[in-house]
Amino acid sequence: MSMGRVSRRQFLVRGTGAMAGLITAMLSVPAVGLLLSPLWAANKEIWVTVQGGPIDDIPEGLPTARIAAVPLGFGPPAPAVNRVVYVTKYQGQLYAFCNICSHMQCDVHWEPSLSLFECPCHGGLYAITGRNVGGPPPQPLSQWVHRVYVDAQGKHYLQIANRLQEQI
Amino acid sequence: MSDSTAGSDVPPPAVPEERGDFAGLVPAPIAGPFRKSWAWFDDRTGITGLLYKGLYEAVPKRGGWAYTLGSATLVVIIVQFFTGIFLLLDYVPSVTQAYGSLLYLRTDDLFGDWIRGIHLWGAYTLMLLIGVHALRTFISASYKKPRELNWISGVMLFFLVLAMAITGAMLPWDQASYWTAVVVTNIPHYLPVIGNGVRALWRGGDFVGPLTLTRTFALHIWVLPALLLGLIGGHLYLLRRHGEFGSWVNYRTTTDDPEKEIAERIRHAEPPYPTRGSEPRYSVPSETVDFFPDQLFKDTVVSLVLVIFIFVMALISGAPLDGPANAATLTYVPTPEWFYLPLDQLLVFFPTELIGFGVFVVVGIGATLMLALPFIDRNPERHPIRRPDVLVPAFFFIGTVIYLAMLGVNRLYNL
Ligand code: HEM
Ligand code: FES
Repeated sequence: MSMGRVSRRQFLVRGTGAMAGLITAMLSVPAVGLLLSPLWAANKEIWVTVQGGPIDDIPEGLPTARIAAVPLGFGPPAPAVNRVVYVTKYQGQLYAFCNICSHMQCDVHWEPSLSLFECPCHGGLYAITGRNVGGPPPQPLSQWVHRVYVDAQGKHYLQIANRLQEQI
Repeated sequence: MSDSTAGSDVPPPAVPEERGDFAGLVPAPIAGPFRKSWAWFDDRTGITGLLYKGLYEAVPKRGGWAYTLGSATLVVIIVQFFTGIFLLLDYVPSVTQAYGSLLYLRTDDLFGDWIRGIHLWGAYTLMLLIGVHALRTFISASYKKPRELNWISGVMLFFLVLAMAITGAMLPWDQASYWTAVVVTNIPHYLPVIGNGVRALWRGGDFVGPLTLTRTFALHIWVLPALLLGLIGGHLYLLRRHGEFGSWVNYRTTTDDPEKEIAERIRHAEPPYPTRGSEPRYSVPSETVDFFPDQLFKDTVVSLVLVIFIFVMALISGAPLDGPANAATLTYVPTPEWFYLPLDQLLVFFPTELIGFGVFVVVGIGATLMLALPFIDRNPERHPIRRPDVLVPAFFFIGTVIYLAMLGVNRLYNL
C-alpha cells in the first residue's frame, strides 16, 4: 500500500470499512462482556446448616444422606436448591460429601450391598473415603466446604458453604 | 416447449405461456372472480415471474421419491418453528416457573399440550429424517464435485439440529430436563485449559442455576435457529445453482456411442443443467421433469404422511413431563434421548484420563470424517456397487453407532 495520495475511491472504501469496524467494536464490547461475565462474577459465600438435626447419631462407617438448602452464590436471585450431603464418619474422620459424580455429575448414592458409593449413570464407584475406585470417574467425590457447630447442649451440627472443596 | 425463437434476435418471453398461467391452475369457479385482481397484482409486483423462477426448475425424472427427503426435512423444520413460536406464548424460561408453565399446559390447556407434543414428535421425526436424507445423498454420491458444499452445509445443519435437540431438552426443567442440563453442560469442562471456563459460561457459574436455563433458552430460540435458517438458505441456494444431482439411475447411457449421447444431452439441457463444474457425464440427467408440479406433488405426499404421523403421535403419546427438577435425588438416572445414546455409551468406554480423548478426539474425528467426506472419496464412480471403498467403511461406521446405541439401551434399561 502506498502512503502517497489516496484516491477518492480508496478513501470511500477504507472509510466505510473503518466505520463498519467501529460499529462492530462498539456492539461487541458489551456483548462479549455479558457473555463472559460468569468468568469474573464473584461467588458469594453463604453458610447453611445441614437439615435433619444433630449429627451425633450418625453411625460410624455408614454414609448418611442429609439435605441442605444451598443458596447459589451467583446469578440473579433464585430460591436455595436442596442438595445432598453424605455425612460420613469413618476412622475418626468426618466427611461431608457432595453426591455429584466427578464424571458427568450424576447423583451418587451409598450402596450398602457393595459398601461403595455408586453412580447410576455409567457405573462409577467410590470408596467410603470418597476415593474413585471403579468406572469412569476421574476424581474422588468432592466434599462441601464444611465446619461443625456445637450448641449449648453439646450437640454437633454440620454447616456447609455453597461451594465444594475441589472443583469437579 | 417450441424452439421457434432459438437463434433469432427476439428474446423468448420471460415466462412461457402455459407455465405462467398460475391462475389457470385454480378451478375456474374459484379463480374467476380473482382473475382481474391477480392481473393487477402481477402487473405491480411481477409475482408470476417470481413464481415461475422459483417453481420451474428441471429436476431428474427418475428416483423422485428418494429426492423428497430434503423437502420433508424442511417441512418438519417449519413445523418446529411454528410450534416453537406458539410454545413461547405460555412457556416461562425461569427455574422457578418453567416447570409450572408446562404443567399448566398439561392440566389446563389441552391445545397447548398438543402443540408441545407436536414439537417433541416433530423433533424425533426431524432427527430420523435428516439422517435418512444424509444417507440417501451419501449413497447416491451427490456430494461429488461441484456439490461438496451442499454436503458440508448439510453436515453442519445436522450438527445444528443435534444442538437444537439437546438445548430444547433442557428447557422444561423437570427431572429429566434438569439432569440432562447437568450432564450436558458438564461435557465442555473436559476441554483442556479452557474447559472450566466454557462450562461456567454456559452454566452462568460452577453449578447449574437460573442462568443455565436462560442461556440455554437463548441458544435454543435465537442463536441456533438463526444459524439454522442461514445455513438452510445456503444449502438451498447451492441446490438451485447446481441442480439436483439425483442418483446414478439418471445418468445411464443407452446407445453404443455414449460420448455422443452425453454431448446431445448437454446440448438440449434445460437450466440449471448442465451443472457447472461437473464431469460432463454427470452434468445432465437423461430425462427431467419440472419441479412444479411433478416433484412438488411427491414432496407433498411424503410431507403429509410425516405430518400426519407427528400429529397423531402428539395426540396419543404427547410429550412427557417428569416431576419438578430436584437436585437432591440419590438414584435418578437421566436417560438420554435415543439419538444421544451412542455418545452416552462412549462415556462408559473412556474412563478417567481418557474421558477428554473419548469426548473430543473420538467424536471430533467422527465429525471431521463426515465433513471431509467429499475430499476423502476420490472415486469418480457414482453407482454404490462400484464404490465399496467408501460404502464398506461407512456402513461399518453406521453399524458401530447403532451398536453403541444398543449397548446404551441395554445398560440403561437392563434389558
Ligand atoms: C436442516 C436440514 C436439511 C434441509 C432442510 C435440507 C434440504 C435439502 C433439500 C430440499 C434438498 C433437495 C432435495 C433432495 O435432494 O432431497 C437437499 C439436497 C441435498 N442435501 Fe440436504 N437438507 C438438510 C440436511 C442435509 C444433511 C444433514 C446432508 C448431509 C450430511 C445434506 C446433504 C444434501 C446434499 C448432498 C444434497 C444434494 C442432493 C442432490 O443434488 O442429489 N442435507 N437438501
Ligand atoms: S456420571 Fe457418574 S459414572 Fe458417569
